[in-house]
Order: sequence, then structure tokens, then C-alpha cells
Amino acid sequence: MAGNFWQSSHHQQWLLDKQDLIRERQHDLNILNEEEYQKIFIFFSSVIQTLGEQLKLRQQVIATATVYFKRFYARNSLKCIDPLLLAPTCLFLASKVEEFGVISNSRLITTCQTVVKNKFSYAYSQEFPYRTNHILECEFYLLENLDCCLIVYQPYRPLLQLIQDMGHEEQLLTLAWRIVNDSLRTDVCLLYPPYQIAIGSLQVACVVLQKDHKAWFAELNVDIEKIQEIARYIINLFELWKQYDEKKEIRELLTKMPKPKPAPQR
Amino acid sequence: MSSKLKRYEKIEFLGEGQFATVYKARDVKTEAIVAVKKIKLGSRVDAQDGINRTALREIKILQELDHKNLMGLLDVFGHMSNVSLVFDFMDTDLEVIIKDNTIILTTANIKSYIIQTLQGLEYLHMNWILHRDLKPNNLLVNSNGVLKIGDFGLAKLYGSPNRLNTHQVVTRWYRAPELLFGAKQYSVCIDMWAVGCILAELLLRLPFLPGESDLDQLTRIFQVFGNPTEENWPGLKMLSDYIEFKPFAPVPLKHIFTAAGDDLLDVISGLLVLNPLERTNCTETLQKSFFSNKPAPTYGPKLPLPQNIRKLKDLEKPSLKRKLLESAEGGTLSKRLLF
Repeated sequence: MAGNFWQSSHHQQWLLDKQDLIRERQHDLNILNEEEYQKIFIFFSSVIQTLGEQLKLRQQVIATATVYFKRFYARNSLKCIDPLLLAPTCLFLASKVEEFGVISNSRLITTCQTVVKNKFSYAYSQEFPYRTNHILECEFYLLENLDCCLIVYQPYRPLLQLIQDMGHEEQLLTLAWRIVNDSLRTDVCLLYPPYQIAIGSLQVACVVLQKDHKAWFAELNVDIEKIQEIARYIINLFELWKQYDEKKEIRELLTKMPKPKPAPQR
Repeated sequence: MSSKLKRYEKIEFLGEGQFATVYKARDVKTEAIVAVKKIKLGSRVDAQDGINRTALREIKILQELDHKNLMGLLDVFGHMSNVSLVFDFMDTDLEVIIKDNTIILTTANIKSYIIQTLQGLEYLHMNWILHRDLKPNNLLVNSNGVLKIGDFGLAKLYGSPNRLNTHQVVTRWYRAPELLFGAKQYSVCIDMWAVGCILAELLLRLPFLPGESDLDQLTRIFQVFGNPTEENWPGLKMLSDYIEFKPFAPVPLKHIFTAAGDDLLDVISGLLVLNPLERTNCTETLQKSFFSNKPAPTYGPKLPLPQNIRKLKDLEKPSLKRKLLESAEGGTLSKRLLF
């Protein structure tokens, strides 16, 4: 990873203020309520994750793509670009930025078609409507809206260091790692630096596994309030999941979602 | 998007590289003179890959950096795979300066160029970035004598121990011996070797090791430094492309750089070491006595410039009208004596 987080564009330009985020989303929140909005983002995070896994990308690339996706809509309404087009575009750009092998555009489109057909048929009855030139056009628009800030810091590395310091525990690492993955379905990557997300995820993991590491957490030199806020986001996500059946609800949400006009031409 | 295409007015063509064409342009919005680097459209197949990787590498790295001796990325515009990057405009580069035989490069001048190069590079290395293509042509200089490292198209983040890198980097004449032997794990040492070659070229006014092929490059290196052995370079024979060369005896650097003082030779001999692990890094190099000894590095605006830029600069100097005004107001004493 590149040098200095504190001087990075991630820290200086892309840790957003919660109030700003709410203001930017005002347009979409006139149409969707906050929970519906979150459900749509949970859905598209899963789309990115599934596509990434099908393309055999590393989790680092998938996470970066998800952050690009969230950063884009932190500044734009859902009606600017269909998220179903932006999702693969984010993966396309992230795989180049992270320099882990090439995904050819044709492979990307084919994968989108099969994934939409086989895994998300509960959400889409039609086939994946976009082609290479849509992705290429969208890629530049994405780059611009990211203000050309492409390097994203992820919580995975600090998490490994923290676990090592705690005295390595395999079970805890596995769970905390998965919670970091889950955290991509919340707004925390837009609001908090990755090391805090790592600590927050670790704390939730300790609670779930009923491991007592209070003394260790007490010695950390961090803003514990922020950690609690992050943990709250994650727990809220888990609670939402408990009483939500995506397969039943998502179609209606996608219909309700603000859309670009006109619909893309084949 | 299209508004940005109009924002930069082309003034003249500056040069062409493997991946891009560079134009001098005027930023209509700020009236600043900038350099626009238009990435070449590759084949149809490349165009399918979207935004060019080389350009993307440059964008991603420059966006995170800010140092007076590194080229600053001002803007990016374009459409689909057609990308242009906007940079600070630089008047010339070290290659032009070295080749211009109307320019005299004093020790103080060379010191100034090398300090600026090392400071920019030190910052880069501290940010875990390797440049991987240092050469005089990529060290740009403006008319205020500020040197900036440019062309980050091959630059790469380093430090992941299990990631392999290609050894096909760095223009051959500046390529470190480990790269020529096929090393796929390397570090700042490859940039340090290139700095050594550039320093040598500033002194000799000719490329120091102008190899005609990769093998010839190694031959030229060993003709100066002698052959490496397992003793002075442990692990050498494990490099994938290692081969034996006929034995050469090392030549004392003093015989090559006859005009250089001992303190300067000490800098060169720290940089140009066959064993990459024994090469000095930027910080160590900058601490060598050469940089604190006299003469002091030349003050930027006093650094020599190629003829054509000198002329331009003279044109921008106080016009006749202003000179007359000055003399009317009394002017300076020397001017009075002239009249």
C-alpha cells in the first residue's frame, strides 16, 4: 500500500461529514425513505461482491470497487447512472487500479449476464442490458466524480495488525474479517478512517464470540466514541437483516428507485 | 466534459513518447501555461480496456503526492479511452541541458540538480513508490531552475513482499544490474542506480553506460566496476537470468571522472554499487559531505538554461519602455555610468 494515510486523498478529501451526506442524498430521500435507500445499497454491494467473486478478484479489489460505488452516489443521485451499470464499472476500474490482473471487457459483460440471470433473477426479470461501450463511457464519468482519487485504504491490513497485537486468534480474525466485509454495506467507509472501522469490527466480533478483551481495548489510543458509532452502524445492519427478506422486497424497491431517462439503448 | 476540451488551447507541439503526445497549452480559465499530455489511442483491442493503464497509474499516484520536486497533476479530461492529463508547464529537461554544449555545468549546478532529484525521490520512496524510469529526459526543469521528476507511467507501489514485479523497466542505459539479471523483487535500489548514472552523465556530458543490448549493458557495467561475485553480491547466482561474463578488472572512478572531487566521487561510488543492498538510499546520499561542502548548490533562477529558452526569457525581461522609465527616475548608478 502507498505511504501515508494522513496525507492521502482518502483522508483529506474522502472522509465525509454525516450531515453533508444526508444533504447530498436529499433528492433520493424524497423518493425513498432512509431504510429503503440502505436496502438498495445493500443489494448493490452484494451485486459487486458476487460479480467480483465470479471474476475471481481479490477481496481488496472488491472492497475498493464498493467504496468507489458508494463515493459516486455520495455525490450523485441514483438517477444519474443506473447502479446496475455503475457496479461492474467500479470493478473494472478497481481491478486496473489495484493491478491484480486484467478483466477483459467482454469477460466482464458475460459475467454480468450470467450473474444477473442466475443469482439475481429475483430482482431482474430481463437480462443484463449493458454493453462494453456503456462501461467505457461510464468509467470516465466515474473517474471524474471520484475527483481522480483512486487509492483507497481498507480496514483489512490494520485488522491483521490489531489481531496480531491481541495475540493471534484465528476464530476472532475470521469473524472480524467478515464483519469488515459486512461494513461495506453501511456508510462507515465514507465516514470513518479504515483503522477505526477495523477496531469497530473487532469489537463487534468480540461481543459476538463473547471474548473479553476489555483491558486490551482500554489501552488503545483511539476516540472510543467513534468506535461505538461504527459498531452501532454494523449492529443496525445486522438488525435490519434479521427482519428483511431481500428476495421478496427488492423488486419493488428497484421499481421505486429514481432512474436515468431515457432507458439505455441496446 | 466538452467544456474541459475547450478549456485548454493548444499553443504548440512539444514532444512525443511511446504512450503519449505532449502539447503546450493555455488554460483559458486561469491564463496559466500548462502541458497537456494526451495519451495515445492504442489499437482497437486496447481501446476495449477503457482508460489506459499507464495513464491510470500516473493519475492514481500523482493524486496522492505533493512535493515541489515532483510534477503536479492539475487536471484530467477526455472521453472514454481518450485521456489527457494536464501538468505544470516545464521549459526544458536535463537531457536537453546536458546535450547543449553552450551550457557549462559547474559542480554547483550539478549539486543543485542532484539535490532536487534526490529530494523528490526521497519523498516518493517514503510514500512507498518506485519511479522505475528515471533518466535525464524525465527530469524536467523550468526557467526558475526548479527540477521536477516527471513521467510516472511506470511508477509502482512497492513493499508487498510476495508480489513479483517485471524486470522490464527503466530505459536500458539507466537500468540496474539486478534488473538486467532478471530480478523480479527489487526496491528503491533500482532508482538509486539510475540517479548514479544521471549524475555520471551530468559530469561526462555523455551517457555513462550506453549499452546497445541488455548483454552489452552488463558488459559495460562490469568493464567499469569489475565482475560481481557471490562474495560482494550474495545471492547473485540465484537471479533467473544470471550468466557468467568474462572477467574484467574494475577501473578507479577517479580515472573516469577526472574533474570530480573526492566528495563527489564518494556520492557516485555510493550509488553505483553492483550489490543493490549496498547502494545508498536518498536520505543517506543527501547526508554525504558533498552536499554540505562548498560550493553551495546554485540558486534556482541562476541555473543555466538552453539557448532558445534563454532568449525567450530575455524577451520577457523589462521592456525598453520600462528601462527608459527607470532611467528617467534615476535608475541605478551603473546604468548612469553607461550612458
